Amino acid sequence: MRGVLGRLLPEAWLGLLGLYFLVPLLATGAFSLWEGGSRYGFAAYVALFHQPKLWQSLFLSVRLAVETILLGLIVLVPAVFWLNLRVPRLRPVFDFISVLPFVVPPIALVAGMTALYTGPDWLVGTPNYLVIPYVILALPYTYRALDLGMRVLDLRTMTEASQSLGAGWGTLIFRVVVPNLTTALLGAALLTIAIVMGEFTFANILLFNTFAVYINYVGQTSATQASALTLLSFLITWLAMLGVLVSGRGGRSVQIGGAR
Amino acid sequence: MPHLEIDGAVKRYGGKTVLHGIDLALGQGEFVSLLGPSGCGKTTLLRIVAGFERPDGGRVVLAGSDITALPAARRNMGMVFQAYSLFPNMTAEENVRFGLKVRRETPAAQQARAAELLALVGLAEHARKYPHQLSGGQQQRVALARALAIRPALLLLDEPLSALDAKVRVQLRDEIRRIQQETGVTTLFVTHDQEEALSISDRVVVMQEGRIAQAGTPAEIYGEPANIFVARFVGAAAELRGRVRDAEAGLVELCGRAVPAARARGLAAGSDVHVLLRPETVRLGPPGAAEALLEGVVASRVFFGALTSIRIEVDGGFSLAAAMPSAEAGAVAQGSRVSIWWDGEAPRVLAAG
Repeated sequence: MRGVLGRLLPEAWLGLLGLYFLVPLLATGAFSLWEGGSRYGFAAYVALFHQPKLWQSLFLSVRLAVETILLGLIVLVPAVFWLNLRVPRLRPVFDFISVLPFVVPPIALVAGMTALYTGPDWLVGTPNYLVIPYVILALPYTYRALDLGMRVLDLRTMTEASQSLGAGWGTLIFRVVVPNLTTALLGAALLTIAIVMGEFTFANILLFNTFAVYINYVGQTSATQASALTLLSFLITWLAMLGVLVSGRGGRSVQIGGAR
Repeated sequence: MPHLEIDGAVKRYGGKTVLHGIDLALGQGEFVSLLGPSGCGKTTLLRIVAGFERPDGGRVVLAGSDITALPAARRNMGMVFQAYSLFPNMTAEENVRFGLKVRRETPAAQQARAAELLALVGLAEHARKYPHQLSGGQQQRVALARALAIRPALLLLDEPLSALDAKVRVQLRDEIRRIQQETGVTTLFVTHDQEEALSISDRVVVMQEGRIAQAGTPAEIYGEPANIFVARFVGAAAELRGRVRDAEAGLVELCGRAVPAARARGLAAGSDVHVLLRPETVRLGPPGAAEALLEGVVASRVFFGALTSIRIEVDGGFSLAAAMPSAEAGAVAQGSRVSIWWDGEAPRVLAAG
């Protein structure tokens, strides 16, 4: 009897944990379908999808996510490459910098940024401005993903092997390093999407109507539509996370052996 | 004119000098091993030749051209590394073609050359496999094919066998030698394994603390070690302290007895010496044998298959090892008394000090 209980205990815990995550989601889903009284339907979703502001905010967030990914990778790929290849002794410094976004509250970052940044019109005063804090927010995840990918690769040997075969830096980076970092790059990109799609503080304080800000706005005007939007937001984040998991699973074989 | 000439190579890291003006020349088609313990500077020297390190002094000349300042990518040297260095995202064939692609050879030429090299290393049927689908030995063979594909002016091997298990190591070692002789490529090989160096090389360069301790053919290094470091590092030898008794006759005093050591000739009589005896030169027989120079007791026997190593506590307070064919070693029981002798030409005699 005790043996059976012992065997079932892990499953029981797993079930409880599953309920902990699923019940609020199911309740949100049920509430998003509520049309008053005992009527249920997709009215909230239909109303929501007919609002141009939803699509504007969603597209804005997606665009910002793409820009954040590009800027983050352009800055970090060469930096992490150089760190691993030439200055591994600076790793503690890089590690420290990468966790600063966890330590400094977003509100302090916003206050600091508004005081610090000046720049061209296409940047300051436009949503593009958000890309800078978003790169900082995504830094811990992007840096870790890239650093791990490069450490697994044995960058020094790869670099020397390709140089001894006559390859320059361009060939090395684009034909050897980047193809072997697809998993790390994809992981970094998907984590960045998840962060940018859910970021609220910066956008709200700097008065840009991103997806998260729009969810908040809808929440103040229509509770059922807010529930529908929350589920949509969850779906996007989950898809990004699922992408990280799937690419990570495929990536192990890439990193160990390079099957494709 | 030598194919590769290293002229007074000096390298310092911080305040520490790791290479003290190395001079070394390799002839065309020669296979030279750099042999030494960890930290002796052999890999640093190889990396200077490869272009991964810049020397703080001296120069590297390849086929008459000074390449000291030339970047690694423009030296046309093939290199096989200790760590598995195949590009994981490429098949064996793509790895071999990489250097040719960089050189913008036609796809047909790349394919033909890759096929030729993969056949040379015996992996033609594995061309489409990725590195993770190959064993360690196969990966190193592909790395060798990749290094040779570019028709390198020099082949550099940085301990390519050390990550492999013993059996594969011996197979690949023989294969490297065969391929080197077939292709005639001048080769510089770094190893800390004396057996590897002795078995594969035309010439062995033993290094000690950033200096060349001795350079010579494997037979010279083994049979005529220039100093006690080389004698200790290369091969096993009993190291006995003695004194030259008769320099003309070639007699050395060991444990109060005069024993023949022809190489003591020419040394000052009465000077202290190290007498080095290789196990295979030591002969054993029953006590009181006519040839006996010393006597002792068999302390231990270790069976190595074809040979048995026998350790003897010699009367007078030192021990030495003898290696006998196992078929004959049965007569020498542990704890039994034996007489010991050797040919007078066998011991190496080095001035102590």
